[in-house]
Amino acid sequence: MSSKRKPTNTKWSHEFDTLRRENLFKNPPQDHSAYPLLVQAISPHIESFNEVFREGGLVTKAIRDIGTKYYLDGDERTGPAGKNVLSIRVKDVVVQKAMLPPSNKFTTKRHIFPAECRERHVTYRGRMEANLQYKVNNGDWHSFTRDLGQIPIMLMSNKCHLEKNSPDLLVQRHEEAEELGGFFVVNGIEKIIRLLIVNRRNFPMGILRPSFKGRGAAFTQYGILIRSVRPDETSQTNVIHYLEDGNCTFRFSWRKNEYLIPVMMILKALVDTNDRAIFEGLVGLPGSKATKNSFLTDRVELLLRSYKHYGLYTKRKTRAFLGKKFRIQLGVPDTMSNYDCGTEFLRKIVLVHLGNVDVTEAQDNDKFKMLLFMISKLYALVGGDCCGDNPDAVQNQEILLGGFLYGMILKERLEDWLGTNLRLVLRDYLRKTPGNNFATQEFAKQLPVRLMGRTNENIGQALEYFMSTGNLVSPTGLDLQQVSGFTVVAEKINFLRFISHFRMVHRGSFFAQLKTTTVRKLLPESWGFLCPVHTPDGSPCGLLNHLSHKCKIMTKSVNASAVPQLVVDLGVVTGSSDIDEAVIVTLDGKVLGWCTPKQSLLIADTLRYWKVEGSHNVPKELEICYVPRSQGGQYPGIYMSSSPSRMIRPVKYLALDKEDFVGPQEQPFMSIAVIEPEIVSGESTHVEFDPTNILSILANMTPFSDFNQSPRNMYQCQMGKQSMGTPGTATRYRSDNKTYRLQTGQTPIVRAPLHNDYGFDNFPNGMNAVVAVISYTGYDMDDAMIINKSAHERGFGHGTIYKTKKIDLSEGQRSRSITYMKKAFGFAPGDEAKGRQGGIDEDGLPFVGRLVQDGDILCCWHTVYVDASGALKNRDGVTHYEKYKDGETAFIEEVRLIGGENGSDPLSMISIKLRVPRSPVIGDKFSSRHGQKGVASQKWPMIDMPFSESGMQPDVIINPHAFPSRMTIGMFVESLAGKAGALHGLAQDSTPFRFDEENTAGDYFGHQLMKAGYNYYGNEPMYSGITGEELHADIYVGLVYYQRLRHMVNDKFQVRTTGPITKLTGQPIKGRKGGGGIRVGEMERDSLLAHGTAFLLQDRLLNCSDYQKSWICKSCGTFISTQPTVSAYANRRKGTGKVRCRQCARKIEGALGSGTGETWDDGHGQRWVGGEDTTIVAVPGVLKYLDVELAAMGIKLKYNVGTA
Amino acid sequence: MSRETYEAPNTGSGSRAPALGRGNAESALGGEGPATQYKCGDCNAQMKLKRGDPIRCLDCGHRVLYKERTKRMVQFEAR
Repeated sequence: MSSKRKPTNTKWSHEFDTLRRENLFKNPPQDHSAYPLLVQAISPHIESFNEVFREGGLVTKAIRDIGTKYYLDGDERTGPAGKNVLSIRVKDVVVQKAMLPPSNKFTTKRHIFPAECRERHVTYRGRMEANLQYKVNNGDWHSFTRDLGQIPIMLMSNKCHLEKNSPDLLVQRHEEAEELGGFFVVNGIEKIIRLLIVNRRNFPMGILRPSFKGRGAAFTQYGILIRSVRPDETSQTNVIHYLEDGNCTFRFSWRKNEYLIPVMMILKALVDTNDRAIFEGLVGLPGSKATKNSFLTDRVELLLRSYKHYGLYTKRKTRAFLGKKFRIQLGVPDTMSNYDCGTEFLRKIVLVHLGNVDVTEAQDNDKFKMLLFMISKLYALVGGDCCGDNPDAVQNQEILLGGFLYGMILKERLEDWLGTNLRLVLRDYLRKTPGNNFATQEFAKQLPVRLMGRTNENIGQALEYFMSTGNLVSPTGLDLQQVSGFTVVAEKINFLRFISHFRMVHRGSFFAQLKTTTVRKLLPESWGFLCPVHTPDGSPCGLLNHLSHKCKIMTKSVNASAVPQLVVDLGVVTGSSDIDEAVIVTLDGKVLGWCTPKQSLLIADTLRYWKVEGSHNVPKELEICYVPRSQGGQYPGIYMSSSPSRMIRPVKYLALDKEDFVGPQEQPFMSIAVIEPEIVSGESTHVEFDPTNILSILANMTPFSDFNQSPRNMYQCQMGKQSMGTPGTATRYRSDNKTYRLQTGQTPIVRAPLHNDYGFDNFPNGMNAVVAVISYTGYDMDDAMIINKSAHERGFGHGTIYKTKKIDLSEGQRSRSITYMKKAFGFAPGDEAKGRQGGIDEDGLPFVGRLVQDGDILCCWHTVYVDASGALKNRDGVTHYEKYKDGETAFIEEVRLIGGENGSDPLSMISIKLRVPRSPVIGDKFSSRHGQKGVASQKWPMIDMPFSESGMQPDVIINPHAFPSRMTIGMFVESLAGKAGALHGLAQDSTPFRFDEENTAGDYFGHQLMKAGYNYYGNEPMYSGITGEELHADIYVGLVYYQRLRHMVNDKFQVRTTGPITKLTGQPIKGRKGGGGIRVGEMERDSLLAHGTAFLLQDRLLNCSDYQKSWICKSCGTFISTQPTVSAYANRRKGTGKVRCRQCARKIEGALGSGTGETWDDGHGQRWVGGEDTTIVAVPGVLKYLDVELAAMGIKLKYNVGTA
Repeated sequence: MSRETYEAPNTGSGSRAPALGRGNAESALGGEGPATQYKCGDCNAQMKLKRGDPIRCLDCGHRVLYKERTKRMVQFEAR
């Protein structure tokens, strides 16, 4: 049917398109989404996940890198001779989509859709299986399959049922019509893996880091760092350090331990070479210019000389030496020779991007050449011939995609399982049954089932743990700088916030603790890749950035296989014979050759022309970074990359007038004009498609943001994400803990065309309000705003909060099946009648639609056991009630009964969705789209509001003082544009950078206003609503889009006089939740004192706090020796009412005392006389506590009690 | 209808009205107590379940059920 229909239109303008949207909403498209930009915005997440499991994807590559594991039987303490070798490897890993378990025999619909997982508070996951192969000695390979548990699956990925679903189908599957995917559903919560910034791969970065000096004696601040990435996206960082004496050492980290090796040893191990070749590789041929550079030659000579004392001259010997040293760390079997072990070392650790599986000699040679280049760059850095690369600039960074990280964890788990886990199991097995060696039948029978069953093979659980906590449990650390904070909840407070999660890039939590602010700086290199506006202020400022809306992230490497030949054809010399005056040409961290500086510019320009043209098999996404020669600038050369994880963005290539993609590494060396008039002939090669391309999706939604002071735009980016909006249309099928909803959302009159492109009209986020800028009544002081009471009554800003409460009776139990049931919903026999009064139904669940108030019953349950017939019987006749404990009234919106996936479990979990209506009240927060937030201070009656000559009254009044210091001129322009738009029925385009000094925005909209018969400047004469008199000044009135923020007084107010106290001190408890107090601290106390309000102070700090009446002995001056007396004749309840000091009293020995006073009884049968000098004083409770504590330490406090 | 045969309408839902839904109790395990009406979260089918019955739609086998909106009068003070 869809083939006959016209394909859904995906072109949008800034117009309202009301009917088109209505139609889209009524009849969701059956072909594709009408908002391709939205799909594009999140695509890096989905595509990176797809890469993991596709055929020949990351998992396949990872399995190749893991390779085969070998185990020996027999006694561990003896040598390898005569032992059997077990070889085991993973053949492939298969992941299924989310399916019902076979134990569920009640339905033919076997799919589990994400919506069900959200509703049931479970994880959307699919089963993973591994096909394993093993052989003993040189026998045949035997295969078997193991179940690895269920792994969380990304929505809309190639393992998800929703992949490529049309909006129509998505709606049928209880999703949003514009469901984006890119996240996981873990325990019913939507989680995404954050994009992380990491060092640019396969590029040797010159680093100047003073902390390098602390690594040990002779270390300097100089180093060359390369983050070398394997095809399976796991990385290994190699660093070459410069030592004070001019030597170089190679550093790497392996399983969280650091190792240092002389760099010469690596060079000699890689290829069969000699000192002359290395010298010429670093310095050049005899007679070349560089040989006169004594700085360089001295150091290279030292490098070569100092290595002599190892006495390792050949590749074979060096590898064997390395192998011997790193046997244990690499975990290779005893049968492997030292030489092979050295080869394994080079394969796994040294420049892994140039070969990590079945490394050929050519690949080793590539590694050798790269290492030489790194050393030359290091010497150039030390000699000051080039500058260090800035690791905080986007130029030297790339993005670690969520899917790739997921794949990395998966790989590590697999390797750990087959390497470490299985080893322990086998050792255990061999120790217990030494007779069953690997060659026996018994072993062959037990390995696939019994022995593998003993390993911890639930990789799914490990991944689910990672997704739900964001913590990385890893023996290697994955070459990352942090172990937690990898995942975040994709909150659906409103759509802006939701979409922002997917465009968010984090610098890493390691940098959050850094005291220096250099990492947070906004650098010009970020232009077009990271939004300069959209970052929060406060602690994550500059660390948590957002991608510009046109910035893409590569998820696949592009095919650049033609490039090496092309550059050779263009004159690049591949041999390292003559590097005098030459610059290097590399592709993905592989040295292609050298050429003259003049040639290099030509080569870069030619390649760029071809790549934009699409000829010569040069892919358009190839990054060609041409670094020209300079005095002390960056190290010159042509560095090309075709790898994934790079950021790229489209710009127009002027030579062909076509789209080109540029990357962050090449951009600083290019001349890209921002607008066409800026193009300098002969210099500019590119021009931006639109200056707004540098802004993020959210920053683009701020109307006329170019008129505002910059920080205001930042604030708006924050507040847009905090506004109460429309989280979506499928709210029925969601069970978020808390969601907000604006009942009366509107489409903004003033908006950018991108508003429609991203489909934001499907998720209204605010209301158009008539705003007058006057100081009226005084209730608009200090960023307060007055709301027209009638506007409020018509629904201005009306919102709702949905809260979901999960009640799980089988919490902490292994199974939900009926045999394990201990509690069941419903009444214990005989209590049914109570339910009806309490407002709950016969099944023990609340009536849907009912109003609940503080203390009302939500549901009830009772304890049960299963009798012989399999029926549930009550144990004790007691009904337990779950109560609603919030102060606010709410309505029962939904009651959901949640069954197990077997389909046979009785009811043990429900979730209740409560609806809390939140009409605006005084104290609620509102904001315009210009960082102008305010608090509603009054709902002013309409009759008393000022009115204009046409009878218009403002919905909102704000104070003129909000403007001068904040300079949000954009808000004035929006007001003007909104007014003109409303009068003419137009949607106004508010894209920034559209007006200039000649054609001003004020003039454009002013004329529109004039055409409608209004004042050109947007001012109007107004009349006081109270007196009816005309106000002395004309008032600026217009339409501004207002957002209602989610911060509401009802969630914040904290009041008490007296209330709950902490037992120990008698002072009020902390926190709003329990009705606690707010601390009056020292500074508050000082302030009250300075104002002379001592009684207020006493009231706050004593009477409303830990005021206590206490007995004290006046003569010895202590609290703790006083005690009440007892008497057989006293009133039982009141006691004697006499308190005596035990310390001052005298014990009566014998039957009768000396008769000097009244005797008293201490309740232990002891009689005393004296100690009568006691009285009651009012003291703070903590004072007595202090006294007791000090007494415990042997310190006595004595109070001199006077008569005041 | 004669005066004798008339039965006063019972307001409470706890009353065991003999006719409706009682006979076709589709309970699989033969749960106990009163049956309550629920709706399937997938196919919207209506069903009556008792205490101890397995939670799944009797038509499609879906595992999320909704409680129906109450038939009782729900009245709030409008302010």
